[in-house]
Amino acid sequence: MTDPVAILGVGQTRYRRRHSDKNTAELVREAAAAALADAGIGLDGIDLIVGGVAPDALAGLANIDLMSIARPGIPYMRINTGGATGSSALLAGMTWIAAGRGKAVLVVAVERMGHATTAQNIFNSIFDPIYEKDISMSTISMVALRATLMMQKYGFTSDHWAQLAARNAAVSALNDTIERPRVFTADQVRGSAILAWPIHALEACPTTEGACAVVLTHAALVGDRTPAWIHGTGAFSDTYAMGDRFHRPEGALDNLITLERAARKAYGQAGITDPLAALDMVEIQAPFASSEVMAYMALGLCTPEDNVAFTERAIAGTAGVAFQPSGGPQACNPVSATALIRITEAALQIRGRAGARQIDGIRRTLSTGQGGATQFSTAVILGAEKP
Amino acid sequence: MDMPAAEPLVIPGNWNFDYRYFAGDTATRFFAELRDNARIMGTRNPVTGQVMVPARSFSDADYVAATEWVEVGQEGRLEVFSIIATQFPGLPAPPFIIGYVTLDGADTAVLNHVTGVDLTDIDRAARQLLRQPRVRVVFKDAREGRITDFHFEVIPDTGTATGTGAA
Repeated sequence: MTDPVAILGVGQTRYRRRHSDKNTAELVREAAAAALADAGIGLDGIDLIVGGVAPDALAGLANIDLMSIARPGIPYMRINTGGATGSSALLAGMTWIAAGRGKAVLVVAVERMGHATTAQNIFNSIFDPIYEKDISMSTISMVALRATLMMQKYGFTSDHWAQLAARNAAVSALNDTIERPRVFTADQVRGSAILAWPIHALEACPTTEGACAVVLTHAALVGDRTPAWIHGTGAFSDTYAMGDRFHRPEGALDNLITLERAARKAYGQAGITDPLAALDMVEIQAPFASSEVMAYMALGLCTPEDNVAFTERAIAGTAGVAFQPSGGPQACNPVSATALIRITEAALQIRGRAGARQIDGIRRTLSTGQGGATQFSTAVILGAEKP
Repeated sequence: MDMPAAEPLVIPGNWNFDYRYFAGDTATRFFAELRDNARIMGTRNPVTGQVMVPARSFSDADYVAATEWVEVGQEGRLEVFSIIATQFPGLPAPPFIIGYVTLDGADTAVLNHVTGVDLTDIDRAARQLLRQPRVRVVFKDAREGRITDFHFEVIPDTGTATGTGAA
């Protein structure tokens, strides 16, 4: 790798259904100012701002980022890779520094979906209008299709999805960035309405707004501060079409080939050969239990044969690595920001600043990003040691 | 100066734009075959031999143009499914089934509605569908050249997958 890049500061608003007391720029400022203060850098020390916003339609503001994230006098660009927007934005900022274009980058991702009175209508509009949109797809049924594949192929049951959802919900109670964490049992999940079989109402994360910001710097700016260092990264893309992924030689629908490749690349850069042994903590950008389970295999944490047993250990907390200490996206999923939150949470844990959700001894972490129907995947490994 | 606290102001807004999506020559022909001949046509990637259904003018994976047209079968396998059981804004009244089907002779799967399963007991219906049953294409009588000109109907007592996961 080139000169090391550090996460020197992070900032988050609280995550809530709607921030009706702030316009979008005010929401962004709160997270950005917190990240700059954490890094000990003023806005005048920033060489680039990268904005992360997924579809404009969720906020009902065309150019939402131009009016809320870009700042006078600082180069600016926007990234949109759906649910992977936040981590893709971070990778863009890191690349800017690695390329020698500057030494400090502010990455800000903001989710403003509370503006939409029917956000689900907008999610329903993301499908191919020629061949697929008329077939009544939704973002939830899109995930359900794959969950049924996992059940067919590996023998997962609805109980696995309900138990993992309950586990993540229980953990989220410790996360003070979430205004109203929802805690429920697996029985309550199973007893809630079926949205799109096998997904029940309690498995779908609530509408959430908020902003997350990260200050990235060249190693030269770190001084005596305590950063989280970037040890390895990877990002890959796939076809938009889910129907193209059933019979190809590599990368069947349940294999998350983009995540597997992104992780493999990041592990290689970080010198990791046994991820389960090397990683202390993993934050997976998985808005549903079945998506989290698919990631275990792709990340090399278990084999396909051991997938069900590994999942049961993950539910029991005996898998050998801390999963989703924030509660993960099942608890709180502000779409544009969620993948940056996965990285921010890892950085907080490494720096020992995760408050009530802090786990002792976190030295090395993995955070993933997933966008579209896993069309985009990112993997970011952070560490306490300067690489 | 002290100001009285006010309820946050909410300004109403609305996006209601009309669009027209240009489907391109390949999709135009695919839909014309559906409408006029009740045939399902795919295109073949000349390098890999992969037959794409619905038809695409090129393969996403390699940018290779697919200009050869092939008719595929009107039966196939239900690869994955979901049963939508709650009313979503803008979607049809539940319950209904959607799924990806690989038609005989095709190498990609096509999304459509699926019928032919009793949905009074959703879990029971799901157990049946987890067996990846064979399905057949059912065309509408009045076709208009859209993907909704057909749907899939489950062929009873077919399917080989174990489908152990329905508990």
